[in-house]
Amino acid sequence: MTSRSLSCASAPPPSVGAATTMTTSTVSMTASPCDSPSPAARPPAGTWQLTWRVRDRRGSVLFDRRGTAANLGLVVALALAAIASLCAGSLPLSPLAALQGLAGLGDPMNVFVVRELRLSRLIAGLATGAAFALAGCLMQTLARNRLATPGIIGIDNGATAFAVASVLGVGVGLAPPPMALAGAVTATVITFALASDIGTRGYRFLVAGIGVGAIFGALTQLLLARVAIDAANAAYPWTVGSLNARDGASLVWLEIGLALGLVAALWLKRDLACLRFADSVATGLGVRVKRSRYAALGVSIALTGLAVAVAGPVGMVALIGPEIARQLSSSRGVPLVGAALAGALVMVSADLVGRLLVAPIEVPVGIVTAIVGAPFLLWILLRPAARFRH
Amino acid sequence: MTTSAIELQPKARAPLATLLLALLTGLALVCLASLLLGAGEVGPAEAWAAIRGDGTADARFVVESLRLPRTLIGVAVGAALGLAGALIQAVARNPLAEPGLLGVSAGSALAVAVALVLGADAATLRVSVAQIGALAGCLFVLAVARVNGVGNDPVRLVLAGAILSGLLGALTSMILLIDQRSADDIRFWIVGSLAGRRLDDLGAILPSLVVALALVIAVARPLAALALGERVAVGLGHRPRWTRLLTVVAAALLVGAATAVAGPIAFVGLVVPFAARALAGPDVRRTLWLSLILGPILVLAADIVSRRLVAPSEMPLGVVTALIGAPVLVAVVRAHRMPAL
Repeated sequence: MTSRSLSCASAPPPSVGAATTMTTSTVSMTASPCDSPSPAARPPAGTWQLTWRVRDRRGSVLFDRRGTAANLGLVVALALAAIASLCAGSLPLSPLAALQGLAGLGDPMNVFVVRELRLSRLIAGLATGAAFALAGCLMQTLARNRLATPGIIGIDNGATAFAVASVLGVGVGLAPPPMALAGAVTATVITFALASDIGTRGYRFLVAGIGVGAIFGALTQLLLARVAIDAANAAYPWTVGSLNARDGASLVWLEIGLALGLVAALWLKRDLACLRFADSVATGLGVRVKRSRYAALGVSIALTGLAVAVAGPVGMVALIGPEIARQLSSSRGVPLVGAALAGALVMVSADLVGRLLVAPIEVPVGIVTAIVGAPFLLWILLRPAARFRH
Repeated sequence: MTTSAIELQPKARAPLATLLLALLTGLALVCLASLLLGAGEVGPAEAWAAIRGDGTADARFVVESLRLPRTLIGVAVGAALGLAGALIQAVARNPLAEPGLLGVSAGSALAVAVALVLGADAATLRVSVAQIGALAGCLFVLAVARVNGVGNDPVRLVLAGAILSGLLGALTSMILLIDQRSADDIRFWIVGSLAGRRLDDLGAILPSLVVALALVIAVARPLAALALGERVAVGLGHRPRWTRLLTVVAAALLVGAATAVAGPIAFVGLVVPFAARALAGPDVRRTLWLSLILGPILVLAADIVSRRLVAPSEMPLGVVTALIGAPVLVAVVRAHRMPAL
């Protein structure tokens, strides 16, 4: 790290071409580094600086070049996957027809298929993927452990058990989203109480979570065994993870939650970057460690619960999404936006594969991600001890 | 932690014979309960009459043709899983190693699913295929244990096993989704249950159980020596590599047989050796014999619960064992000092 920050001082002035195109009436943009008070305040190498002045107050934002490029690439890939997802199905459409249908033009049949049937599934995939991956990224960062994702420590299963209880009408008559949230909170509290620390670097915490997850999985089965077969079939998709089971109301909950969660996560971003170091270092850097950790944990639980209420436990996305984002972007910060984009990409692609692989049978997205994600997870667990990337 | 001389002395343990006698009594009681209690309409009093030779024809049919085979199979499955758990824990030297958690049962289930899709007949091939799958699962676990010191970290091995289980389970689900015929064949088997099994199933696995038991008798002493360390075992005239191989084969035979009959059932192999060690101390020979009896007790008790909990319907046995076993898993992990094997 030191060598990098030293080299920054002599780096050429950053290009801020991208920034100059953004102008608003209240914000006057200045696009040159000579606006900085002293040469020492030059932006580090590999970043773009966006500075502005409102009346007499100056502000600036740094954009990581590699991270921004990665995010743009992910957006492009996501758009392609989304179009493919709109095209594919029992009525195959050309990309042009799909886009026309999306805009409400062309053949009414196509419009119906795209807007009424495929679009809501696509949106559900995007939202759940982004929510799972963002939750995973937050959890990994706060626990400082790449295997610590909500799915592994039993939060998915807790949320699923409660959501199934809601669908079956057992106990409280709440809708799936609040019940799933309650389940996620319950499972987290139990796991963290049992592990009695927040899991930094320990595998013990993860196994305690596996135990808690097994209990909630068994409870889900118990609930399913108690009711009539029709009710059990209605609740079944939740237990494997599928985008087929979504209902509109839960999706609205998730969209609102995801919007709030993204804002909250970005607000925590600086603290999270420091949380990757030892607690003493983070404290020394001015981070209120405990508070940031609880905040990140809260956002993570909420996102997981809401996403489970829509799609069931697709926990692997929470692991794959952040991992892709981390590989693509620089090691400087926590790639929250990248993780959300990559998660959405994984979810939409997995759903697409599941629909096409053995059509007309649909393989639930939870199974596709489990098959893709497990070897990956094993590799993370078994590879040689990680060295610091320079 | 301060250790006084008194703490270092071995605790006085009840003699093995007393323990075995007490456990056998317990097993007899559980077997009786398993015959008397059921999900259906035949109550304990009627069942008791049927056992003594009178009672209604219905009650006799239920007791003789349904509950008796189920009880016997429960005894066989419990003994196999308990013993296999003790063996795998001893050979991996890991108190968390368990066939269900490590993916051995899932490997067995996947092998059966693949064989069915390839056109095998459900009744004939199942046992040997399940055993081959279990052997592959065991070998994978041992291979993982040798990577990067995973073997020295019990918890990491369990994580790897949990991941493998998830992968194999997902593959099995996918195969069953694609091939509807096989799915119908094994739908009631794949969830793990003792319901609706026939005595023929027991006959099919009995030979491999006998072979496995003979292997266990042969490896018990070398395993106990291996617990003292590889060098000590060699010094005592044992061949560690050979011992490990035989142990793994025995465990695979046992898990494969149990899975072939009852489907994948997790946590029995964790709870039983845990309880056996608590009763008899760390000597693997005592643990093995106690596991042989504790396993059936646990499985039958869990089976009775699974019949009564949601009567008149039933629920999978694996659910009950998970509810019993997961807290034990957490307790072992939480223990300040993990028992070294």
